[in-house]
Amino acid sequence: MVAAQTKLPMQVSHVKSTHMTENTDHTQLCEWLKEVAENRCKISFTHLFKFFAPKIQRIARSKFPNEAQAHEVVQDTMSNVWRKAHLFDANKGAATTWVYTVMRNVTFDLLRKIKNNREDNLSDDIWPIAENAVTEDHSYEDHLENKQLLRVIEALPVTQQEVVKGFYLMEMSQEQLATHLNLPLGTIKSRLRLALVKMKVQLGEEHD
Amino acid sequence: MIKHHPKFELIQSYVNGELPASLSIGITLHAELCSVCQQKIAQLTEQVAERSFDELSNPLLNELSKLDFESDITDDDFFDSMIDDITDSNDIDTFAEVMPKQVIFKDKSYTLPSALNNISMGKAANIGKLSRARLQLDENEIHSNLLHINPGGGVPEHTHKGFELTVLLDGSFSDDRGEYHKGDFIMLDGSFTHNPISEKGCLCYTVANDALHFTQGINKLLNPIGSFIY
Repeated sequence: MVAAQTKLPMQVSHVKSTHMTENTDHTQLCEWLKEVAENRCKISFTHLFKFFAPKIQRIARSKFPNEAQAHEVVQDTMSNVWRKAHLFDANKGAATTWVYTVMRNVTFDLLRKIKNNREDNLSDDIWPIAENAVTEDHSYEDHLENKQLLRVIEALPVTQQEVVKGFYLMEMSQEQLATHLNLPLGTIKSRLRLALVKMKVQLGEEHD
Repeated sequence: MIKHHPKFELIQSYVNGELPASLSIGITLHAELCSVCQQKIAQLTEQVAERSFDELSNPLLNELSKLDFESDITDDDFFDSMIDDITDSNDIDTFAEVMPKQVIFKDKSYTLPSALNNISMGKAANIGKLSRARLQLDENEIHSNLLHINPGGGVPEHTHKGFELTVLLDGSFSDDRGEYHKGDFIMLDGSFTHNPISEKGCLCYTVANDALHFTQGINKLLNPIGSFIY
C-alpha cells in the first residue's frame, strides 16, 4: 500500500515531463521562429506555415460559421507570426504556446468585431504577446533585491551600518550624518567607502 | 493577501478566449496581482496549445479533415499564395511603451492597469460617496464600470438577477462574509445578497449583466441607484 502510494506522484510527474515532447518537435519550431525573427527567412516561415496553418484553419472552422472567416484567422495569425517573431522568447515557453496565443488573440478580436461590432483589438491588452508580465516579475525581483540588500547592510559592522542606512535609506547628506553622529566628515566618507566595497563583494558573489 | 480567485472553469474559458471582453479583462486584472492564477493560466495555455497543434492527440479532428478532401486541395493553392502575400512585406511590429492611464475620482488619482489602456471611458458620475465611470465595451446587457467608493461609503443591501463581478483595484471593502483586498476577484450570482461597505475607500472594476436590486425597506427607494451602478 505504501509503495503504491509513493509511486503515484512519480507517475504523474512522468506524464507531465514528457507531455511537451511527445509528438511535436518543439526545438525545430523554435529554430524556425528564430530564423524568421533574425534573418526574415522565408523557407523557415514556409515550414512554420505548413505546420500551423492547416491546424489553425481547422480550429477556426469550429468557431466561425464560414470559410472566409476561418481563412481570415489563418491569414492574420500567420502574418502576425511573420511580423512579431522577434517578440517570441524561447526561454519563456514553447513555440506552440506562443502561436496559440497569437491565434487566440486574432480569433478573439474577430469574434468581438462580429458580435459587438467593435474593432478595438483588445486582445493584446488582455493577453500580451510580448510578455508584459515581465514588468510584474521585475518589480517582484526588485522587491527581493531590496530584501537582499537589507540583509547585506545588516551584516556590516554597526559603525558602517548607521552611515549606510542614514545616507541611502534616510537620504541624509554626509554633512548631516557627520553632525548627527558627531563624527568628522572624513570618517563618514571613509566608513561609507569601506561599507560599499564590502557590499559590492557580497552582492556580486550572490549575483553569481 | 488575495483570497478570492476565479473558478477553474472560468480560467479555462479565459484561456480559450471564450469569455466576453469584460470578464476576460477582469481575470487579467486579477492575474496581474495574483501569481498563483498567473501560473495556472500559463500552465493551461501551454496545455491547450499543445493539444491544439498536436495532430496525434487530436485524431478525430484529423480524420474529419481527411474526409474533407476537396477543400484540402484548394487550400493548398490558397495557402501558397497566402505565404507569398505575408512574406512580401518585411515590416515588423514594434511595441511602443504606453504611458499608463490616470483616472481621478473625487480628487484622488489612480494609475490604471495596462489592460484598461485602450478602453474609452465615460465621464465619472457621482451619487453621494459613490462614483462610477462606464467602460465603453459595448457588450449589450453586460455593463462594465470603474466604481469608486469614498471612505465610509457603501452600496445598500442588494441582490442581482444576473451576475456581478468585482475586482478590487485599490483599497478594501467588506460585507457580512468578510473583508476584501486589492486583487480579490469576487464573482456573485443572483442567489447572493450583500451590503458592501468601504471604510477607507476603494476603487473597483465591476461587471454586471443586470441592474442591482435593493432588497431592504427604505432602500428599495434607491433602486434607481441600482441602475446607476449597473
